[in-house]
Amino acid sequence: MWRIWLLFDPRRALIMLFTFLFGLAIVIHFILLSTDRFNWLEITLPYTPPSMPS
Amino acid sequence: MKDGSLSGLSEAEAKEFHSIFMTSFFLFTAIAVVAHILAWMWRPWLPGPGGYKTALDSIQHFAQVSISYLT
Repeated sequence: MWRIWLLFDPRRALIMLFTFLFGLAIVIHFILLSTDRFNWLEITLPYTPPSMPS
Repeated sequence: MKDGSLSGLSEAEAKEFHSIFMTSFFLFTAIAVVAHILAWMWRPWLPGPGGYKTALDSIQHFAQVSISYLT
């Protein structure tokens, strides 16, 4: 298994890996923030109908 | 090309880097597993047949979801 580093340059591999993981994490976090259920910054309260004006 | 590899690393260097890489990989994976367990305890992301409302936050629910995906 360690022979993979004879094939791939560790510096390039690490840069690619970190770039990919960071991009993936950013995408997942923004997708979650865009939903109601998994948005952890704005707690969505249960819907309460507005009171009728009298 | 007797001593040269495509990456320019010697076998000793490759082994040394590999040990660091694998340790870091397992550490990263362990942190990710803990984070996913906490996130699942907060809000599970696979609703059961009855939707999120009836979903039980328990291992039993997780087992049911797992089985329903397997069968």
